[in-house]
Amino acid sequence: MKMNSRIFKKIEPFFYIGPALITLFIILVYPLGYSFWLSFHNWTLITFKEGVDFVALKNYYDVILNIDFIHSLLVTFLFMFFAIFFEFILGMSIALLLNLGFKGRNFFRTIILLPMMVTNVVIGLTWRLLLNLEYGLINKVIRYLGFNAVPWLSKTVLAMTSVIIVDIWNTSSFVALLLLAGLQTLSKDLYEAAKIDGSSKLQSFMYITLPLLKSSILVALLWRIIDTFRIFDVPYLLTAGGPSRATEMISLYVYRYGFRNFNLSYASASSYLMVIIMLIFAAFLFRIFRKDY
Amino acid sequence: MSKIVKNVILYSVLITISLISIFPLLYLFTISIKPSELIFDTTSKFFFTPTFQNYQDIFADGRFIKYLFNSITVGVITVIVATILGMFAAYGFARFKFRSKRILRMASLIPQLIPPITIIVPLFTLFASMKLMDTQRALIISYLTFTMPLSIWLMTGFFEDVPIELEESAMIDGCRRLMVFIRVDLPIVVPGIAATMILSFIYSWNEFLYAVILTGRSARTLPVMITSFMTNKAILWGRIGAAGSLIILPILFFTLFSQKYVIKGLTAGSVKG
Repeated sequence: MKMNSRIFKKIEPFFYIGPALITLFIILVYPLGYSFWLSFHNWTLITFKEGVDFVALKNYYDVILNIDFIHSLLVTFLFMFFAIFFEFILGMSIALLLNLGFKGRNFFRTIILLPMMVTNVVIGLTWRLLLNLEYGLINKVIRYLGFNAVPWLSKTVLAMTSVIIVDIWNTSSFVALLLLAGLQTLSKDLYEAAKIDGSSKLQSFMYITLPLLKSSILVALLWRIIDTFRIFDVPYLLTAGGPSRATEMISLYVYRYGFRNFNLSYASASSYLMVIIMLIFAAFLFRIFRKDY
Repeated sequence: MSKIVKNVILYSVLITISLISIFPLLYLFTISIKPSELIFDTTSKFFFTPTFQNYQDIFADGRFIKYLFNSITVGVITVIVATILGMFAAYGFARFKFRSKRILRMASLIPQLIPPITIIVPLFTLFASMKLMDTQRALIISYLTFTMPLSIWLMTGFFEDVPIELEESAMIDGCRRLMVFIRVDLPIVVPGIAATMILSFIYSWNEFLYAVILTGRSARTLPVMITSFMTNKAILWGRIGAAGSLIILPILFFTLFSQKYVIKGLTAGSVKG
């Protein structure tokens, strides 16, 4: 009896965790293992019936040497940098604003939340019409004010700017929400004490708020890096990666190669390179985290 | 500065931000009730007589209803499976101490790091070989790849918040652990479970990449359907406006009327980190 209960104690957690982990294994680990295998073989729609050859690292070579892949990677990093930069400035401002006690705070918080909850496909399409050269509302207003219409989506630099603007509109509130949650855990006493010691509001922000908010900032940063790196829906519908691939983010690139040309081995290899880059990012950020605790 | 001036500035900034936030959504709705010939109007005419023609058009052939039911079915089943499995796993992580716990818990987060395009490549080949393409089952399975890790992660935090003393006293009364879980923990965690379910449903409802790759005419969901109004000949903006407004309606509903839960879900996992 004693032995039995000891064994039971050992395996009891797995009655709870087991079903979920087994499911995740079947639907996630196994498929990912399969595509890892694919990435070392040659699978295309035309040739797979004659057998799938082992080609070692050929797919990876092909991806890394492909100028379009490198281009997409750079485009993604460019987008990532500018989008996240402005989202944090805006997000922090909104968070500080919402942290002031005032009437109707919940109401404003909810309204500001809407862009990040709404279906991304719909966002992409709505902005595509808003920014349209001839009949988009924004250009109508610009013309009404007496200026020339702006080709938001058809010039390379402008198209990238548009994708970044839409992303800022879409997710600044997410950053704000996470930072606000962090701000609400800070105690008021600290600020009182600093005030008595004669520090200005800016000093309080720089030397109290920012350091104490570090972990919230890092978490928000990690989420934004993950999300901007995988972005697909909005650029797919807003610009379809154009003009001339100026906004072809890495996910769009893999989609184009894998699912329009049906070279799934190549798609596997390029998507695994994405995972590796993501893991490097994550490891880097976790390291910064570690230093704090 | 007097208090009134301060308040005027504060509220005008807040109202400006709010207007920018909802303006594109209002624009979408305006497009949906605009007569189609006016959408391509390039002059600066801002006023028109509203029409519901676009809504009639998208409901006319019954496809919208069909795909609406696809979206609902896939969303609901995904949420139920992810919540039940995730709930038990979360409880396990929150309440037991065992050797592989840390690793397993971190492992359940890794799916969040992997880009969806990486996950869909093998799923596509496997579903194709299993003849599951264009079925609701394929969509549900692929949606579980992100809703389950999310559910486990969020709910683990919620279960950890339940004071362990409550459980201990119930155990002393002779309750078995499963009964304690159902009678003591679950009722306390209900708000957290609601937050998790709402968030999982919204993510499934909004999902596009998996759906566009895995579905054809029969299992298509609404986000894929709306892109079919972009034909080779023209973009049917009126219908996009109408369908888009209807797609975001449940999202607006959930966000406005259960904002407490939505915010709880969004911040819980991340702040605790």
